[in-house]
Amino acid sequence: MRRVSVDSLRPGMKLAKPVIKDMTTLLGEGTELTDRLIAKIKNLTIADVVIDAPREDGITKETLLRQLDLRFQDRDTEPYMALIKRLVREHIEDSHE
Amino acid sequence: MNELSIERLRRKVENINNLPTIPEKIKQISEIIGKPNISLNEISAFISNDPALTTKILKMINSAVYGFPGRISLVSHATVLLGLNVVKGLLIGVSVSEFMEEAMSGLWNHSLACALTARILAQRKKIPEPEEVYAAGLLHDIGKVVLIQSYRKEYEMIMNRAGDRGTTVVEEEKGYFPVNHGIIGGWLAEKWHFPTRLSEMIKNHHDPMKSRTAPKETGLVHLSDIIVRARGIGFPGDYSVPVVNPRAYELLNFSESDIKETLEEMEDVMELTEEPSSL
Repeated sequence: MRRVSVDSLRPGMKLAKPVIKDMTTLLGEGTELTDRLIAKIKNLTIADVVIDAPREDGITKETLLRQLDLRFQDRDTEPYMALIKRLVREHIEDSHE
Repeated sequence: MNELSIERLRRKVENINNLPTIPEKIKQISEIIGKPNISLNEISAFISNDPALTTKILKMINSAVYGFPGRISLVSHATVLLGLNVVKGLLIGVSVSEFMEEAMSGLWNHSLACALTARILAQRKKIPEPEEVYAAGLLHDIGKVVLIQSYRKEYEMIMNRAGDRGTTVVEEEKGYFPVNHGIIGGWLAEKWHFPTRLSEMIKNHHDPMKSRTAPKETGLVHLSDIIVRARGIGFPGDYSVPVVNPRAYELLNFSESDIKETLEEMEDVMELTEEPSSL
C-alpha cells in the first residue's frame, strides 16, 4: 500500500483504502481508477489517497540486508547487539518475500 | 572548537529563539506548550485561529498514524478525542516537521518512525503515557537541528567524519562539542518549558539510565532509535547503529516477538504516511 497525492493518480491504479469525505464512503476499497474517477477525486479537495502498490521504491531484500550488515559492522559483539541485528534481519526477510 | 565551554554553548542554544531562521510559529507554539495550566479549549482556539496549522493537525490526525475510523474535521473534536498531552505532542511534531527536514533531509522520517516504534513498545509494556513517549520520539533529535542551525560547518564535518569512519554522529560530536545533541535538545526542551519527563527523555536518549524521573520511557526512545536505524528508515545523520545500553535493554525486557511485531506494525503505518514535504 502506498499513500500518493491526487496529482500522481493514473488510470488502472487500485484503491487500497476507501475514499471517505464527510464521514461518507464515496469510493470503496479495491476500486480501479479511471480518468473519470480521478477527475472526480480531484474535485473533492482531497489531498491524497491510498493505492495498492509495491512496498518501497524497488529496494530489494538483498540491498536491505547488505545495508544492515554495514550499519552494524563490528558492533554485534556488544551485548544484545547481535540479537537486535538478528531480529531486524528476520523481519526484513519475512516482510520482503 | 575545543574551547567552547558548556556555558557558552548553552547560552547560544537558549537564545535560539532569536535566530532569524527559527520560524515565528515554533516560538508561539513553544510558548503555548509551556503554559502550565493551559486548557483544551485554549489549545483548540490557538490551532483553529491558524488555517495552515489546522490543516496540518487534521491531516496528521486523519492519517494512518492515528487511524480513527472516520474523518475528523474539527479541531475541537480532535482535541477532546486525543487529550491534552497528545495534542501538545502533535502540535510540536507538525510544527517542527518541515524545519527538521530542512536541517537534515530524512531526519523527520527517522523521528516519526522512532516515535511510532516507541509508542507501540510503550503500549506493549503498559507504560502509562505512551503519547508522551511518542512525542519524545518525534523530538529526540531536535538537538541536531539546533546544532545544524548554529554550527552548520562543524556539524557537516561531524557527519562526514562519521560517514568516513563508520561511526555515529553522537560519537563524533565529542571532538567538537562539550555535550552531545541529546543534552542540547534537553536544554531547548527545558527552555521551552516542556514537561520534565519529556525533557529528560530527549536529553538522555543516548544514556537512558541517567534519566531520574523516566528511565523506562527514556529507554524506550533509546531502543526505538536503535531499531529504526537498524532497519534503515529515514536518515539521522550517519549510517551506523549506536550500541544499546545493556541495562536499559534488560530493564525493558522485551521478547523477540515483541520487537518483530512492533517493527511490522510501525512499517505498516510508515508506508501509509506522507512525505514530509506534503505534510
